[in-house]
Order: sequence, then structure tokens, then C-alpha cells
Amino acid sequence: MSRVGVQALLTSGRTLKQGRAMELGKLGPEYLKEVSICEMDKVTLESLGLNEGDPVRVETIHGSVVVTSKLDRRSEPGVVFIPCGPFANAITGSDTEGTGMPNYKSIPVQLFAAKGERILGVKELLNRMVEGL
Amino acid sequence: MTEGTHSNIVCVFCGCLCDDLQLEVQNNIITTNENGCAISKAKFLNHADDRLEGPAIRVNGTSKEVTLKEAIAKAVDIIANSKRLLVYGLSSTENDAHREAYKIAEEAGGVVDNTSSVCHGPTILGTQESGEAVAALGEVRHRSDLVIYWGSNPQFAHPRHMTLHTRAAGEFIKNPKTERKIWVVDIRKTISAGVADKFIRIEPGTDLEVISALRAIVRGKELDVDNVGGLPVSDLKEIAEVMKGAKYGVLFFGLGLTQSKGRHRNIDAAIRLIQDLNHYTKWSMMPMRGHYNVAGANKTSTWQTGYPFAVDYARGYPRYQPGEFTAVDMLMRGEADVLLNIAADPAAHFPRKALQHMGNISIINLDPKQNMTSLIAEVNVPTAIAGIECDGAAVRMDGLPLYLKQVVDPPENVLPDRDILRMIYDGLRRAKK
Repeated sequence: MSRVGVQALLTSGRTLKQGRAMELGKLGPEYLKEVSICEMDKVTLESLGLNEGDPVRVETIHGSVVVTSKLDRRSEPGVVFIPCGPFANAITGSDTEGTGMPNYKSIPVQLFAAKGERILGVKELLNRMVEGL
Repeated sequence: MTEGTHSNIVCVFCGCLCDDLQLEVQNNIITTNENGCAISKAKFLNHADDRLEGPAIRVNGTSKEVTLKEAIAKAVDIIANSKRLLVYGLSSTENDAHREAYKIAEEAGGVVDNTSSVCHGPTILGTQESGEAVAALGEVRHRSDLVIYWGSNPQFAHPRHMTLHTRAAGEFIKNPKTERKIWVVDIRKTISAGVADKFIRIEPGTDLEVISALRAIVRGKELDVDNVGGLPVSDLKEIAEVMKGAKYGVLFFGLGLTQSKGRHRNIDAAIRLIQDLNHYTKWSMMPMRGHYNVAGANKTSTWQTGYPFAVDYARGYPRYQPGEFTAVDMLMRGEADVLLNIAADPAAHFPRKALQHMGNISIINLDPKQNMTSLIAEVNVPTAIAGIECDGAAVRMDGLPLYLKQVVDPPENVLPDRDILRMIYDGLRRAKK
């Protein structure tokens, strides 16, 4: 894996496709496809030496996941987006600062090209998270 | 149930609770969904697919189908022997099920929390601090000439919100294209920002600063900085003037405001901005509630326990403490030893450390569909889909309660959440005698 990365802030939220896929089945291939992506601007994608669709590793102090890179033409450098779901949660902290609400927005991340790395399935990711891996 | 056409059906996906669906039913299957958005169509047209199998109990990692009676007996046994029960979820089921869940929490001396603790919980905290300036969605359509979506992407999360409420003509807004402006404030140019009349991009985590600056400007103060949150003060002054000049403004806000830095303080400041603007003109605000009955969960919890979420019955009477009795905190601290999950999927939506503890405890999971929580639950009980396979009541994002109709029969031997929960409650009462 490349150790030359790009820093950004990660935000998460609903997308129409994620919402639709969720209703079709959380254990199905469509849901996996829609929640295991990271949307980013063109500059970030090019800085990582990636073509859209290449795997990208997203790391925070809480963990790291490999997801599929996706170009967002409206986006600007500095903010990347993963739809809400297990992949975003895998790198989100649980501290709520006494409010009950974890910080699901604006999480500092580092992005790395992850060519050749595999995106885990939903069950596999769940098992790893439950086991604390 | 009746075959054929069902009109004016309430959609049970998001907090809009659109009540104009037209469904066609053939052989107890919904075959068409007119008027629904893409997500609504996926939900209604696939109601019979991907169902949770069971009732089932997991033994040594293997799920084994059992009778409903055996599954209830196991759930009762687990709860009766728990030291710190956490009852969680409730946002995707109807109000009657909520009542039974609170009774179980009280009987077992446990904690009951709903999914608002990870969506609009901070909105409730802000409201408790500063009040509530809410309008009805009808009022928005009839009167508003300036609508702001702040930290919200309705085109994705509430796909018909703009079409039905803010892009639609009303009694006093005959031509919404010319008479109403829609702005979007966000850290990224979302699809909703692309269709709005104006997009205001702010720097991540600066909502509180921007709202506070707007408040100061609205109150006539001069700022001694050049820009706030990436916006020049001249732009902020212009925004404030247009807000003051609106005849009727509405601020819709989403998780961009509640889940980011500042959390309830963002909401507190936004409410106070609306209060300030009401010195000049008429403004109101409304949270963009996500799950279709998460607003109902807050209402029923308040009716029955006195508090909207994060309620603990350990002392025999309800106590309220967000940050302590909220689900993520209970799990992160390793405090809960049993999770009774109803109509939610915390395994798909909780952060890593909270999820890790879920792997160490007994989970009783009630849901119509397979989900990530069902994969690690010790007891899985399939239930009927409220608003499709059983009736009930739910609360819209503006607080309006709506009756949910049953349009098809549930699968054989599958009961509504309220019936399953009532059976667990009765079992607990019997176990205590």
C-alpha cells in the first residue's frame, strides 16, 4: 500500500441509492456497493494516483477501511464523503462528549491508494469490528 | 386484506410521512406504488423479500429455528437475568409498540433509548435549552417565501420534501418559482444544493460560529473579523438582511447540524437566531427527521416516561441523562449486558467501539427484515411491517400524528412488534411472581 496519502475531513450521510439499497436488503450486494464508497473531488483522486473505481484506504485514529473511490464533480478538496453505514462507522469514534451523539461529521482522515486491496463484505466487516480487529 | 387499489396510504420510510401513496395489491403482494419516491418504492414493492427467518435462537454460533413461544421464553429468561438491560430502537415501528417497550424497561429496571440519540437528540437538547419554534408543513407551503436547508440533503434523505412542501404552490404563494427562494447551507455541494436558488458553503465544524455571527449581525452588532466559517462578513450581512426581509422564513435543519462539532449548541444557537429574527418578521424552524416514526418515539417516550430519550429505570422511577443513558454511551462503556433491539439496526449504524461491545452481550432483535444486528443477535423474532402489514400511528416531522393503514397480511405466524413486546412483558411479570 502507498504511504503517500492525502489528508481530508470525512463526513457521512444518506444517499438516495444507499436508502434504496437498505430497503432492498442490508445483506445484499447492492447495499454493500452503495455503502462501501468514498466520494472525493478530482484533485484528491488524482493526487492519490487513482482512477475512479480504484480501492482507497481511509484511515482515522479509530481504524481503517478499504472502499471504492468515487469522483464527486461538485466536491472540493478537503472534504470526502462515505454514505452512512458500516464502512463509515468502522472508522468513527464512539465518544459522544456527554451528548449521546458520536461525531459522524468532520472526522480527520488520511486517504491512501490501495490498489490490489480487497473490499470486505458486510458480514466480514461486522465480524472484524465485533472482534475488535 | 382487500385486493386492488389502496389510496392515501402513508409512506413509512422518512419523517415526511407522505400520505398520498396509491398502492395496487395482488395476491397479498404490493405490485405498484404510485407517488412514492425511489426509496418508498423499494420499501413497499419489496415488503415480502429478504424477511428475517425465525423465530430463531443462536446456540454456539449457529442460528436454530424455534417456535414463537420458545423464542419469547428465551427472551424473557435473558431479560429477567440481566443486570443492565438496554431497550433501543423504536423509530421504524408504530406508537403502540413503543408503549410496550417502555413497560419492559420499567419492569426490568433497564434503560430505554431510541434512535434519536444518534440523529436529532441534540435537537431535543437544544429545544430544552431554548424553546421550540416549529411550524406545520402545510404552513410552510402556504406562507414561506424563504426556505433554508442547513446541513440537510433532502433530495437524498427526504426525496419528496422539496416537491411537496417547498417547491409546491400554496394559498399565499401562488408561484413558488418566483415568490419563494430556497437556500442550502452545507460544507459540501450536495445534490440539493445543486437545485437550490443559492448555495452557501461553510467550512466544516463552523456552524456555531456562522449562526452566532448571523445572530450578532441581525441584532445590529459590528463584527471585528473579516470572515467567519469561510464566509466574508459582507456576505453574512447580506444573508442576514435577506432573512430579516423575508415575509415568512423557515429553517429546515439536518444531521449536518446535530452530528457535527457543537451538536446541541448548534441547535441552541439556531433557535435563538430564529427568535431574534422574529423581532423583525415571522420565522420558524423544523428538524428533518429521518426514520418515519423517530419523532413519534420522542413523543411516546415523553408521554410515558416524562423524557424524550435516554431514560433509566434502575431506581424504579425514570431518570433522564443523555450522555449516560444513551445507547452509544451505554455500549461504549461496556455497561449494558442485554440489548433488546426493536425496529432499528444498531450494528449497521453505531461506531466501532459501541459495536464491539454488542458482540459481547445477548441481543434480542425484533425486525421484519434481515439486518446486520440480526447476524449477531441471540434471539431473532420476525415482526410485521407497521404501515404495510399492520396498522398503527406515527408522527410526522412537524409533530402531526398520522394513522398507518394495513394493506396486506403479514406472513403466517408473524405478529406486530406490539404483540411480541406484550408477550415478553407478560412473561417478565410471570417470571417475577
